[in-house]
Amino acid sequence: MRNRIKILSLPTLVLFTLVGFYFYNAESSDQGPTQPVRFSHKIHATEDQIPCEYCHSFVDVSPIPGIPSVKKCMGCHSQIAGRDVDYDFDGTTINIKNEIAKVREYWANKEPIPWVKVNSQPGYVHFTHKRHIKRGFECAQCHGDVAQMDQVHEVNKMNMGFCIQCHTQNAKDEAELTHLKDCLTCHY
Amino acid sequence: MSQDKKGGLKRRDFLKIIGVAGGTAAVTGACSPPVEQIIPYVIPPEGIIPGLPNYYSSTCRECPAGCGIVVKNREGRAIKVEGNTKSPINSGATCARGQASLQGLYNPDRIKSPLLKNDDGRMKPLGWESIEKSLSEKIVKARSGDKSGNIVFLTNNISGTLSTLIEDWMGVLGGAHIQYETFAYEPLKEANKISFGIEKIPTYNIEKTDYLLSFGADFLETWLSPVEYTADFSAMHSVKDKSVGKFVYIDPRASLTGTNADQWVSIKPGTEGVLALGIANVIVNEGLSSNSAGGLQGLLSNYSPDKVSSITDVPKEVITQIAKEFAGADSSLAIGGGVASSGTNATQTLVAINILNYVAGNIGDTIDFGDTLSISDVNSFQDMSSLIDSMNSGDIDLILIHGVNPVFTLPKSMKFKEALEKVDTIVSFSSFMDETTELSDLVLPDNTFLESWGDYSPRTSVKGLTQPIMAPVFNTKSTGDVLLSISGQVEELNGRYVQTTYYDYLRDAWKDILPSGDFDKEWNKALEDGGFYEEPTKVAVSLSSAAMGISFPDAEFKGEGEYYFMAYPSYRYYDGRGANKPWLQELPEAITTGVWDSWVEVHPDTAKKLGIKLGDFVTIESPNGTIDTQAYVYEGIRPDTLAVMIGQGHTAYGRYAKDRGVNPLDLLPVTTDQLSGGFAWLTTKVNASRTGKHAQFVQTQYTTTQHDRVIAETVALSELQKGIHHEEHHEADFYPPREYHTYRWGMAIDLQKCVGCGSCVTACYAENNIAFVGKDMVAKRRDMAWIRIERYFEKTDDAKGFRTMYFPMLCQQCGNAPCEPVCPVFATYHNPEGLNGMVYNRCVGTRYCANNCTYKVRKFNWFTYKWPEPLDWQLNPDVTVRSKGVMEKCTFCVQRINYAKDLAKDDSRDVGDGEFKVACEQACPAEAIVFGNLEDHESNASKLSHDDRGYRALEFVNTQPAITYLKKVVRDKA
Repeated sequence: MRNRIKILSLPTLVLFTLVGFYFYNAESSDQGPTQPVRFSHKIHATEDQIPCEYCHSFVDVSPIPGIPSVKKCMGCHSQIAGRDVDYDFDGTTINIKNEIAKVREYWANKEPIPWVKVNSQPGYVHFTHKRHIKRGFECAQCHGDVAQMDQVHEVNKMNMGFCIQCHTQNAKDEAELTHLKDCLTCHY
Repeated sequence: MSQDKKGGLKRRDFLKIIGVAGGTAAVTGACSPPVEQIIPYVIPPEGIIPGLPNYYSSTCRECPAGCGIVVKNREGRAIKVEGNTKSPINSGATCARGQASLQGLYNPDRIKSPLLKNDDGRMKPLGWESIEKSLSEKIVKARSGDKSGNIVFLTNNISGTLSTLIEDWMGVLGGAHIQYETFAYEPLKEANKISFGIEKIPTYNIEKTDYLLSFGADFLETWLSPVEYTADFSAMHSVKDKSVGKFVYIDPRASLTGTNADQWVSIKPGTEGVLALGIANVIVNEGLSSNSAGGLQGLLSNYSPDKVSSITDVPKEVITQIAKEFAGADSSLAIGGGVASSGTNATQTLVAINILNYVAGNIGDTIDFGDTLSISDVNSFQDMSSLIDSMNSGDIDLILIHGVNPVFTLPKSMKFKEALEKVDTIVSFSSFMDETTELSDLVLPDNTFLESWGDYSPRTSVKGLTQPIMAPVFNTKSTGDVLLSISGQVEELNGRYVQTTYYDYLRDAWKDILPSGDFDKEWNKALEDGGFYEEPTKVAVSLSSAAMGISFPDAEFKGEGEYYFMAYPSYRYYDGRGANKPWLQELPEAITTGVWDSWVEVHPDTAKKLGIKLGDFVTIESPNGTIDTQAYVYEGIRPDTLAVMIGQGHTAYGRYAKDRGVNPLDLLPVTTDQLSGGFAWLTTKVNASRTGKHAQFVQTQYTTTQHDRVIAETVALSELQKGIHHEEHHEADFYPPREYHTYRWGMAIDLQKCVGCGSCVTACYAENNIAFVGKDMVAKRRDMAWIRIERYFEKTDDAKGFRTMYFPMLCQQCGNAPCEPVCPVFATYHNPEGLNGMVYNRCVGTRYCANNCTYKVRKFNWFTYKWPEPLDWQLNPDVTVRSKGVMEKCTFCVQRINYAKDLAKDDSRDVGDGEFKVACEQACPAEAIVFGNLEDHESNASKLSHDDRGYRALEFVNTQPAITYLKKVVRDKA
């Protein structure tokens, strides 16, 4: 009897562990989160050659780059209904026209699109996009080559090590290095 | 593991397995961050860039002063109020009430939608269309049968376009518009009519005087225009060319204003006029008068110093001393208000003060009738009495109430409530469920002033605009819009107004105000400036003969009690409207440092007689009522006087105000000033006795003295004039001095300027997301304020005298900080720009730092404090909201430093002096706080850090603070 319990408990443990890891990994997998609309950065940024700043338009003036309003999406998509073709969206087959139809539906209902955040900083970190862009950094240096992604995923774990490593390497001089390593630069 | 006889799995074992397995799953699965969403705008609002603030000019409506404000808006939410530097009234500063107006906007107890009282007496939420229909029906009903005069519109002082609209409306409906203010200064108006033939309240140029004599006017707290007069006072009382102006305060009680005086003269209530004439008599007799004092000799001769001294309890020498100083000063000014305009002889008292000014040659120099206050034009107390009579006799069928709470602010003995209940229909436009609104049949909640279009003219030269800083938080509607919308539904008013929105009505009205030309351009400029300001024209006045012929009666008192009872307006709650704002409740009152309650101030001798000590409950009885409240034993009050502040003791008005403290108005009889008819506040004598009950008197500073340690330092005026020997000595240190590049942030605080008003404290709460914790937590010393005003009472040479020191204490950003080396996790450290950094996310809450802090300015989060929605909408997104177990403190508004540095970096330059201000500095009406870069030797803060009066708090501990205090100047014994 004792053994039976041991025998039973082991697979249960393994099963739960596996299930746990599945959910854990689903969040931080290379796939990135599934968005309410299968928006492809690859189509927009590479095929259509739209610059990042067209949609993320506050990136050089504000700490927050901004997510385009639904109205901005419709600026093009009131004209562009999309091809009625299947598209391999990082392994998932989607129909482009159907996806654009979803955007039009949000617009018709005057609802925002509930995008899922891919890169995130906790509330006690005051990161500013503006300063980094003004310094001449490319979006891809931190975010990876988003222009080549259909579904966007987190390329770099944006923890403090990531920040400080770059700050240390890129400081112009000793004074700037001091500033860039100062806690109060980001935490207040 | 055990097993049962049947060989199955026991419950106990099953739970063990599930426990282990489930735990594993939880550890691996639930650790992933929660899914966060980014919600975009559907249609982006114009002019909003996420992450960047917008600023809108407006006009503060928390009191009748009408200060100009600029409100910071982030992502569509108002998050901070600042003073408008363009406003001629407050020139960029604010008071604590102005700062706290945001907690009115986001108050969780606001009325969230229109309400209609059911037959069973319950309030039921309703849509706007239905409630407007109900209101128009009520108007039609009241108008039926060709009645007139049975509709009354009761408002506060709304001098401006809304007043015009209501006047017009009521004109058509045959009703009356009554503007009621709790503190209407009627005797002042009447006294000016008698003295100068002008029935107005002038502006006073306190900044131009070098000798100020105040007969009870609490101009640093509530009197007329406190922010403006605090700035003016600071200008006349601060050190200029080694000299300072003198301020003498005459009052039975040393109020916040009184504690800032160089000399407090304790006077018998109701005898202020006699003292004024006594002083004038000395001036004329000694030949000090700058004019012939024509015709006054006869009147003044009755007021010899001996006689005046026996009537007023003011020593003869003091009368002569004040007279000589007053007449001898280059520019002197006597003002009267507060208690001096609270007796039955208030008008005569103020005429006497006018005579004193005349004799000293001050009229027209420091009193300006060219720029009179709009509060001069509000209705009289007599009008309110008549209204009560009309309501009692059933002549009023419909009363519309906007912006006032007379059930609370009128003395109970007037029985306004009982009269109001006889009115058929009561309509309230209040944003809050206050005592008056509770009785209403229809509630049409107005937007707060931060959500509405409007204007307000506090004085002739200033026409202030209010504009919505954000969309309404709740389903409320501006009263102007309601009136226009209802006009279409009432026959007499239908088609009267071409405008459908109040915004259009306002704009059209402003076409007559703004200079002609391109209206859109002028309008936008006015919006940007916060209004339209004109240069006031000087009006010359002279003393009329009526003043000379006036007789000066004694003040009359009601009740047989032993003590004069003083109900004084509170600088935190004004007439009670501030009591629902937690920031104001938690702002320690300057003298007592008490919070979240009421108390009675009792002289130590009286306390001894009554057998009471601090915190004991006292029963105060007048013929009109009884109140029980805690005693605060205070030297700054006459032994025959008891004082309780107005503003607490609400029976409604939301969770923060309700059932808190006592309302002294419950004790007051309906007594009026003989000549003006205004309400006489100080006319009752009460009895007091101990109840035997005791409770902790909840305050933030339990000591009243410095215990012989010099924290707040003074310098004698004579020493200052001789020149202080000031040496900056650097003691040998084991460690090399710290070096700074480009920036070292520092501050200078002038103790001669600080008046202790607490504006900085509230501004800091607003800017830095500081939690309010409530009375129970403050009682356990868990208040979270990053800056506090310490107050010390010190004995002076004069046996009876005492001196008050106000001392703002905040993190000193020590160069050699005791908190830093004791932190085991480097959560606090010295930053390269001289800040004592506090990294919340590193902090593990050992509290070693707070233990080791010399200045006790570190605050610990014992709990995760909550801001009940929507108070949390006010939180500054640039500052981390701290949670349980984390230490916090001032870091010189590092978010503002970083913001300014970011803007400077755009232009590849360094931050210049005065380019930005920290929150406490920006709010301070006295300009006592100067923040700046000590590495920039031309900066103001840097210069002040080398001032002769400069010293650092507890310097001998070698903490090397970045804050320099400038010593308060004390007068040598006369």
